[in-house]
Amino acid sequence: MTFLEPLYLAALPLAALPIIIHLVHLWRRKPIPWAAMMFLHLAQQRNRGLSRLRQILILALRVLAVACVLLSITRPLAGGWLGLTGGAPETILVLLDRSASMEQHPTALPSSKREAALQKVAKAIRQSSGDHSKVVLLDSASLQPLLLSKPEALLDVPPAGSSDTQADLPALLQSALDYLSLHQSGRTDLWILSDLQKSDWDRSSGRWQNLRAAFTSLPGVRFHLLTLPQPPEDDLGIRLENVSRKAAGDHAELQFDLFLTRRSAVSSPQEVPLRFILNGVATTSKVTLKDSQLVLHAFSLPLDRSLLRGWGRVELPADSNPSNNVFHFVFEPPPPLRSVLVSEEPSEVLPLQAALSSPLEPGRDFLSSPLPLARAHEIPWEDTALLVWHAPLPKPDSPLHRQLLDHVAAGRTLLLLPPQTPDDSDLLGLRWTRWETMPQPVSPDWWKNDSDLLANTRDGSALPVGTLEIQRLCGVAGNSLPLALLPGRLPLLLRPGTERNAFFLATLPSPGASSLARDGVVLFALLHRALAEGAQTLGQARHRPAAANALPPPAAEAAPWKPVDGRESLGIPAEQLPLHAGILQSGQKLLALNRPPGEDLPEYLAPDTLHELFAGLDARVLTDSLEDTRDLTSEVWRTFLFAMALALLAEAVLCLPAPPSTQRNDSPSHAAGFASAPAPLSR
Amino acid sequence: MSESRSFLDPAVLARLMALPLHARHAMLGSVSGKHRSPVRGSSLEFAQYRKYVPGDDTRRLDWRTWGRSDRFYIKEFEADTNLRLCLLLDTSGSMAFRPHPAPPNTLSRIDLALRITGTLAYLAAKQGDAIGLSSMSASGAPVSIPARRGAGHLGLVLDQLATLRPAGGTTLIESLHHAAETLRQRALVLIISDFFVPPAELQSAIQHLRFRKHDVAAFHLLDRQELDFDFEKPARFVDLEGGESLLADPSLIARNYRAAVAEYLRALDALVRNTGIDYHRVLLHESYEAAIARFLLGRTPKKGSR
Repeated sequence: MTFLEPLYLAALPLAALPIIIHLVHLWRRKPIPWAAMMFLHLAQQRNRGLSRLRQILILALRVLAVACVLLSITRPLAGGWLGLTGGAPETILVLLDRSASMEQHPTALPSSKREAALQKVAKAIRQSSGDHSKVVLLDSASLQPLLLSKPEALLDVPPAGSSDTQADLPALLQSALDYLSLHQSGRTDLWILSDLQKSDWDRSSGRWQNLRAAFTSLPGVRFHLLTLPQPPEDDLGIRLENVSRKAAGDHAELQFDLFLTRRSAVSSPQEVPLRFILNGVATTSKVTLKDSQLVLHAFSLPLDRSLLRGWGRVELPADSNPSNNVFHFVFEPPPPLRSVLVSEEPSEVLPLQAALSSPLEPGRDFLSSPLPLARAHEIPWEDTALLVWHAPLPKPDSPLHRQLLDHVAAGRTLLLLPPQTPDDSDLLGLRWTRWETMPQPVSPDWWKNDSDLLANTRDGSALPVGTLEIQRLCGVAGNSLPLALLPGRLPLLLRPGTERNAFFLATLPSPGASSLARDGVVLFALLHRALAEGAQTLGQARHRPAAANALPPPAAEAAPWKPVDGRESLGIPAEQLPLHAGILQSGQKLLALNRPPGEDLPEYLAPDTLHELFAGLDARVLTDSLEDTRDLTSEVWRTFLFAMALALLAEAVLCLPAPPSTQRNDSPSHAAGFASAPAPLSR
Repeated sequence: MSESRSFLDPAVLARLMALPLHARHAMLGSVSGKHRSPVRGSSLEFAQYRKYVPGDDTRRLDWRTWGRSDRFYIKEFEADTNLRLCLLLDTSGSMAFRPHPAPPNTLSRIDLALRITGTLAYLAAKQGDAIGLSSMSASGAPVSIPARRGAGHLGLVLDQLATLRPAGGTTLIESLHHAAETLRQRALVLIISDFFVPPAELQSAIQHLRFRKHDVAAFHLLDRQELDFDFEKPARFVDLEGGESLLADPSLIARNYRAAVAEYLRALDALVRNTGIDYHRVLLHESYEAAIARFLLGRTPKKGSR
């Protein structure tokens, strides 16, 4: 607790005034010559019980009342936030959700949620702890602890600035846990500043259970959750997908899928101007938004035929949430979609090669080349979007094993088919076990149809996965995520739990093993989706979500990444560049960074869910309305005045004399018959 | 009436002269008087018939009874004697008590005690009884005047009364035991005190006196303030008998004080019942004349009670 007028604390000894006055009165009492001392002594002896306690209570209440008056004059600061903490904690960890959605501007404030929350927390820390606590900032974008010299530094340091990243709150808490474990901090207050966007909290993650258990074992850790779940009142958001340059004949165009979303109380049709900026030249186009969302597939912008590569962005008019008003993009002639099929039996992968060579888009090259296992070292790793591996898994210490892992880590797709003779080698935590032949062909009875390789088509139709017939199946051991299952929960298609772009297909497309080649629809869709997924990382112009690890490590001879869209003048530190949306260039490479898709989902964590996540921990949820400009800590002099009133009331009750009638009846003169006419006791 | 005998009011004395002082028990006096004696004498008051035994004075034979019954009976008459009134006056410091603040016409305890003692001494002397005086205090030389008759002796007693000043602790219990031991003949022992002593010890001393066949009477002088303890503000109570002063808040202890007083008074009532003394509780603001009148009237023998 701190005081706005601490000098008045010097007057606190005045709280002893009632005791001093009591003592003075005690010694200045008028002397009365008294004869019946035997009764006085007796009464005093009997008074050493409850009456004495009552007297002490009266004195204590008087002292309390005076102390409360004095304390209220000092204007103490506390309240429902830090409360009467009884002292400053040793460490204050500020865990900042720096996700893009925190840049939303509430209607009545010029600052964003992030800025408003930081200001309030900085002030609260200043008022509650002063400079007595160590203040450490941990932001969701970098996950690096930063020791601050003073609470006000929260408003200035770059790691507390805006970003277009997505937050991972479990990872943020894990970083806090690591910090506390490493520094052996004593009493610690953890302030979590977040807008509770669901995508940032990953509530279904198994990490929460471990985090709860770990924090419970740490003594003296308290959580203050400053939540800002107010949705924007009038917000338009834009997102582009599948940006590609198309050329046909003499003209070229930029084609993309455009998603326009609206969060507003108004549902009437709205004309929205879209401002496109291509290589620094702006054009405006208008679209009509009738509902909450408008999706324009294959929206095209004409391009100069000679413009082969470039960058741009699309902008919406300013609104309460500036973070989703801009989307950046880069383009270049699409690179050939190259796939390589490594097989110990080339005949087995012929159907795959046929499917992958079939051009899906006009004007784009689809290259597929089979390679025997012995020539695996000839794989063009840099240009290959999809690698089909039909061979025993390479040994962990072999170069091929390392290259396969790098291929997956670079974002390219790896499809693994079971070899004829599986061994005990593993890759990404999975390994082939043994072949099984079904007594009769079986069909998948479940497959993941909302995303991934077997997702429904764009118009919502399901792929005919259920009509496939599987006769031979190779088992897979390890921690995996199934994408298609046969009866008896036998996995047909699965991927390692840790990687999104590696897949294990537990059968072969040849007629002896399955009907994948015969009923080629599923195989065709599966392969081209895998190819398209891997092709996203091909070429010199790429799109990535803003994140600390968004920038691919530049080659040794390449120049460092620099902004090219006018942000050079903003002076953003190099380490902060991947956290912001924009266009970056390194040599011939162009990179468009945008907010992650999860940041556009207008879903917030429910209070009950939040309490579940922090169940068993000393946590207080502070749901702040940002329009409320009051401090997190507030003056509590009213509380002290109220306490004073209570103390005086209690003192008055304790001082109440006995009822007069009772007192009269107690009188010995009355009882002995002296009240009116005295009568002698005579025999 | 001289200034030193201001405790005697001639008007009060004149009015009370009409009320004789009687003993409640037979007295053994040295001369003939108004009081019943345990021995038979020659008064006009018939006592009883008794069979003649050789040696009896034949002049006291009742011849009329012999004529009717042919038997010899001796006719006996009551003997009347004088009274020894022993006045035991408590002169301890507590007798200086005066209520605070004192209502009008309220005497201090010693003033009231002197008026009662002096008046009763005068009345007794005037009806020919012997009077004695003893003071009871731990301070100074105690006054001890044996009971004698005569106007000169009355003057001595009254002069001594005028010199008494309350001081020191009380020696009430010791003085009562001492009186019981030293008074050889039956007497009316009149105690004037505030009786601020433990009732159990007081009972023992009074029983001692009663054992010696003394007629014991007591004037218990109290003030309403001492009974009710109706102070409002905290005060320092200074012990009149020289003990330590006591700081007390009446609002806190009044209830316990009253309970203690009530308990004490109940014990005194029991003492009165057990010992049969003539007990009179007198408040300081009361008229001493009325108190003495009640005392005298209360001792008047009922008709045929002799």
